[in-house]
Amino acid sequence: MSQKYNFSLTTFSPSGKLVQIEYALQAVSGGATSIGIKTTEGAVIASEKKMGSILVDEQSITKVDKLTERIGMVYSGMGPDKRVLLAKGRKLAQQYFMTYREQIPTRMLVRELANVMQEYTQRGGVRPFGVSLLVVGFDQHTEKPALYQVDPSGSFFAWKATALGRNMINAKAFLEKRYNDELELEDAVHTAILTLKEGFEGQMTENNIEIGIADSAGFRRLEPTEIKDYLAAIAA
Amino acid sequence: MDFLIALVGKDFVLTAADSASARSIMRMKSDMDKMIPLSSHALMLLAGPVGDCSNFGDYIQANLKLQALTNGFEASTHATANYVRKNIADALRSRGAYQVNSLIAGVDEQDGPSLYYLDYLGTMVKVPYGAHGYGSFFTFATLDHHYREGMSLEEATDVLKKCFLEIKTRFLMNLDSFKVRVVDADGIREVEVAQP
Amino acid sequence: MSIMEYNGSAVVAMTGKECVAIAADRRLGAQAQTVSTDFQKVFQMGPKLFVGLPGLGTDAITVSQRLKFRLNMYTLREERDIEPKTMINLVSSFLYERRFGPYFVEPVVAGLDSKNQPYVASTDLIGCPMETSDFVVGGTSSEQLYGMCESLYKPDMAPDDLFETISQALMNAVDRDCLAGWGAIVHIIEKDKITTRELKARMD
Repeated sequence: MSQKYNFSLTTFSPSGKLVQIEYALQAVSGGATSIGIKTTEGAVIASEKKMGSILVDEQSITKVDKLTERIGMVYSGMGPDKRVLLAKGRKLAQQYFMTYREQIPTRMLVRELANVMQEYTQRGGVRPFGVSLLVVGFDQHTEKPALYQVDPSGSFFAWKATALGRNMINAKAFLEKRYNDELELEDAVHTAILTLKEGFEGQMTENNIEIGIADSAGFRRLEPTEIKDYLAAIAA
Repeated sequence: MDFLIALVGKDFVLTAADSASARSIMRMKSDMDKMIPLSSHALMLLAGPVGDCSNFGDYIQANLKLQALTNGFEASTHATANYVRKNIADALRSRGAYQVNSLIAGVDEQDGPSLYYLDYLGTMVKVPYGAHGYGSFFTFATLDHHYREGMSLEEATDVLKKCFLEIKTRFLMNLDSFKVRVVDADGIREVEVAQP
Repeated sequence: MSIMEYNGSAVVAMTGKECVAIAADRRLGAQAQTVSTDFQKVFQMGPKLFVGLPGLGTDAITVSQRLKFRLNMYTLREERDIEPKTMINLVSSFLYERRFGPYFVEPVVAGLDSKNQPYVASTDLIGCPMETSDFVVGGTSSEQLYGMCESLYKPDMAPDDLFETISQALMNAVDRDCLAGWGAIVHIIEKDKITTRELKARMD
């Protein structure tokens, strides 16, 4: 029986909703806040990284990760689910590179990730991912930055700036006030930190937030020392 | 040893195939039909081992008939030829080749008469005239010399007769009986051509 | 008898100044017997991109169709035209998938990239890519073509000069190859136009 049949756990409720997906979104909105901002020169992602205990080695856990040399992502929701998507995303990006000897465009990778997440809402024996992603990249063929959000349902959107997670509503309102089209990359980093700070409980340090930048040089995660400098500049 | 030949005329395709069926050095029968209709206006001529030819011919004919039934119309000559080619080419790289060389002659309402040359590898090319088998070595020169675009049936038949004569004169083997068919707007019909 | 020499073929591509050319013969044979003098070996794969497929006739048809399929999927997915550089890698990975049962073709790619820079490249039958700045050749006449290209090629030729050079290179090469020739086709790709010419050549 279990060999032959494998029914999807995500099934329609009588009202036409897929409640499993709504529960997944609950997991996301309960997760740590993530921010994404796009400027003309590049895109920034940031997230809070609170540890359950002061004894945890902060450097062993990452919120901001590299998918390719040019593309990075951050998530809100369940850490282990992110790890699976990260591994799948990296593999899909390398498969693309194997075929075309060209870096996968951000939009293509986002689409592939969204396809994976959609599949987990329909396939038998699995549950949807309990994460939403913010994916940033700087593409060779457009020479422009990109910022996308991917949801557990498999839908994806392009944003100028957005937020995920616990403080999403306040953070988005904050970003709406702060965002403009002429924003410089350095300003965007500041704005991202300030947005995170809005709903931040306790003292923000270089060890309890993470920041990633995608620009013409590629994608990189800022070192704690660099974040420390930004925090000092903001405090001053 | 099979010999197939066909040429495109003004509004028809004239085709011919020898009617000998041989096994090794022995002639088994002299009234073999090496042509198979694929639709009301398309005819396939096949050369190669008899088993491959009849199997492949029947398979293609049946599938095209099924497609005509499901689609509600018969495939064009172009589509038919490409369908045959795909079957040959796919088989070549999976089950092992169908060792069939073929000519596909057809007449379409819009495109008029057309002829496709296919070999057992799946090489396909649209030609004004074509031939397969040992006979082709003798008849291509005759066709190159005498073929003209837009010939009448009478003129085309004359060229075909010259080809038969060439084979009778120069080919070591005795190919003495041919089946000749015409494909035109009215369909496929057999015509009597006096053997040299 | 090599399977690469069963049908006979000659394809050449050359770069010029802000233009690129690709040319091929038209013969299809079955060993020494000529079957057709109107066989297509060069295929348009984009507004400014062509692929030539010298080698076994049946595989030229199959490969052209399967490449077109992959290319259409690429352009629909990416909503943009493929770069010639990407095309050669697509061809390369496509052919290497059949490493131990290859398609017997040696593709030649010629085109202008999105910045209108000329690009030519070729691969062997299992997809080893080779990019050059001047010319690439393929088919049964490749030795003769190398000889002709090496003596006639000059960098930065204008389109009409490039047409004359590639045509002379091809026609004089196939005249020393009994398996290729019987007419030729030349495509000149410029940033805003493509010129296709059919050449009258020796028909023997």
